[in-house]
Amino acid sequence: MTKLIIILLSAVFINNYILSRFLGICPFLGVSKKLDSATGMSLAVIFVMLIATAVTWPIQMFLLNPNGLGYLQTIIFILVIAALVQLVEIVLKRYIPALHKSLGVYLPLITTNCAILGVTILNIDEGYTFVEAMVNSLGSGLGFMLAMIMFSGVRSKLEGADIPKSFKGLPITLVAASVTSLSFMGFGGIIENLFA
Amino acid sequence: MTKLQNFTKGIIKENPVLVLVLGTCPTLATSTNVMSALGMGAATTIVLLCSNVVISALRKTIPDKVRIPCFIVLIAGFVTMVQMLVKAFSPALDEALGIYLPLIVVNCIILGRAEMFAQKNSIVDSAIDGLGMGAGFTLTLVMMGTIREVFGNGTWLGFPIPVLSDNNISILTMAPGGFFVFGLLIAVVNKFSQNKPKKREFGCEGCPSADICHGKNCGEVEADD
Amino acid sequence: MIEILTAVVPVVIIGLICAAVLVVASKIMAVKEDERLPEVRECLPGANCGACGFAGCDGYAKALVEKEGTPTNLCIPGADAVSLKLSEILGVEFEDVIEQAAVVHCNGDCNATEDNVDYRGIESCSAAKLIFGGKGTCGYGCLGLGDCMNVCPQNAIYLKDGLAHVCRLECVGCGLCVKTCPNGLISLTPAVEDVAVLCSNKDKGALTRKVCSNGCIGCKKCEKVCPVDAIKVKNNVAEIDYEKCVCCDACTGYCTTGCIVRV
Repeated sequence: MTKLIIILLSAVFINNYILSRFLGICPFLGVSKKLDSATGMSLAVIFVMLIATAVTWPIQMFLLNPNGLGYLQTIIFILVIAALVQLVEIVLKRYIPALHKSLGVYLPLITTNCAILGVTILNIDEGYTFVEAMVNSLGSGLGFMLAMIMFSGVRSKLEGADIPKSFKGLPITLVAASVTSLSFMGFGGIIENLFA
Repeated sequence: MTKLQNFTKGIIKENPVLVLVLGTCPTLATSTNVMSALGMGAATTIVLLCSNVVISALRKTIPDKVRIPCFIVLIAGFVTMVQMLVKAFSPALDEALGIYLPLIVVNCIILGRAEMFAQKNSIVDSAIDGLGMGAGFTLTLVMMGTIREVFGNGTWLGFPIPVLSDNNISILTMAPGGFFVFGLLIAVVNKFSQNKPKKREFGCEGCPSADICHGKNCGEVEADD
Repeated sequence: MIEILTAVVPVVIIGLICAAVLVVASKIMAVKEDERLPEVRECLPGANCGACGFAGCDGYAKALVEKEGTPTNLCIPGADAVSLKLSEILGVEFEDVIEQAAVVHCNGDCNATEDNVDYRGIESCSAAKLIFGGKGTCGYGCLGLGDCMNVCPQNAIYLKDGLAHVCRLECVGCGLCVKTCPNGLISLTPAVEDVAVLCSNKDKGALTRKVCSNGCIGCKKCEKVCPVDAIKVKNNVAEIDYEKCVCCDACTGYCTTGCIVRV
């Protein structure tokens, strides 16, 4: 149990996907302008991360590894994730139109989001069990959400700020992201010691 | 467009990282030092070149409806090849790039070039475009890697630099430094490209009154900022 | 050869399974869409302004296609041209669009109010609003830095004496300014009926009078004089119900502070 909590917390804070692992930067810079779109995007990411892990982990462990096909990981994972996202979109559209309406626009963007492929591959690389892998995916998704939501607040303040011409837009956003990332470095070492 | 222009546009005018802002994740993650930046740049260039050539060759065969899945599978195939090559010939580089090597699949530059260029142009042009874009990507990565390694670690390609190696700003090699250096570089690019007048984003498309005004008021929207 | 096959076969099988699942899913779970929907959606301007009363242009297009009898004249920015196109596609009778125009519900120019602070920040209402709630004494009033003027695609808004005015003849009723104003002072009213309350101060009368000589003090005189019961004082400020208003001008001359006027 303690291990699961450590995995969860370190995925959210220490190895935050955006701010320390640099995965999923594109949506981070693109969709974090407004709070509601940031929330929608992160929910979609959490959702897809969980499903993708639930599908790719068994494929790797029961299909690829026993047959010595570990090298097919990349190609199969991206194939499965792409199909999965499409399937989720169809199912949501049919059965939960309300959810489809709020997450729908973000789903196609997620197929080629490195955070999703990243989390599935990392789960295998770290040698997690199925439960640990799911917890890690949840934590990574939550960390993504935390960074997105926090940053949307930072960006709304940036809009009213007086910024030098060359820094307007993306550059100042990146500098702000740098400071946010710096603050997340403060979490380093805390979580392991919580349970020591 | 001549062949030379086709090649150089990837390096300067349409630099994938600094101007088009594609592929930010590997840019930030693997530019901690020059070596891994070079490795990442080379790996991406190879994949970009192969995928551009093959996609351009198959551009008439692949049905339009399923082109994106086809492109992704093709790209994933090439990435797996590069992955195997790197593992076999340079285990140290494999260690340094880690998760970012398989993640070349989802690098927007590759899919972006396939969509924007390779599926509309001849094989030779696509190959040149792939090389140019790859060169632009590699150059930017090496530039960032140089800044981060020289000032963050006091070395360049592993060779220590006098004075700097004793006074390094180690935060630059960590995550916040990546964002910071990238922000600065884009600001510099903005500074130099600012002389050209830019149109305000509010065009006739999406303008609710486009039907009524027929663009006659838009002469005034050309902003000076 | 066997080695190649062991790699190729799983990829092919997984690919086939994925494709089969997707095909089946898209067949079984297909959501029927009226083929007129994209066509109808295409006609609408796509500003998602919400002036039609539906959730964006998509919502309006859906309602038009699915619910018979939805009026085709609800798109105000699109005006008659869009209404005409819609009625052609849907095969219903063309209805005239009731044009709307924006009005700034504030009359507190620099003669009527005073400045609290000497604001030297960025020339933007939203920025000024963040700092002191605006430079003027009235926290509800026009900030006078022209955010609405900058978004107006028609250049129909101008600033005079630190107060935004809408030229109602040029306004097309797109509602971009309504969304932009950080104090929510701008609203759309029917273009033909042009009586409006030029105040949004929700404080009690005495407080309002202290900060602005043109503000509505909520005296309810207009309520009494209106022959059709169209004016109500809510939250200490008069409000006109344009469904009832007949533009008789009874209130405009009667208002104590002169904040109900023809615009």
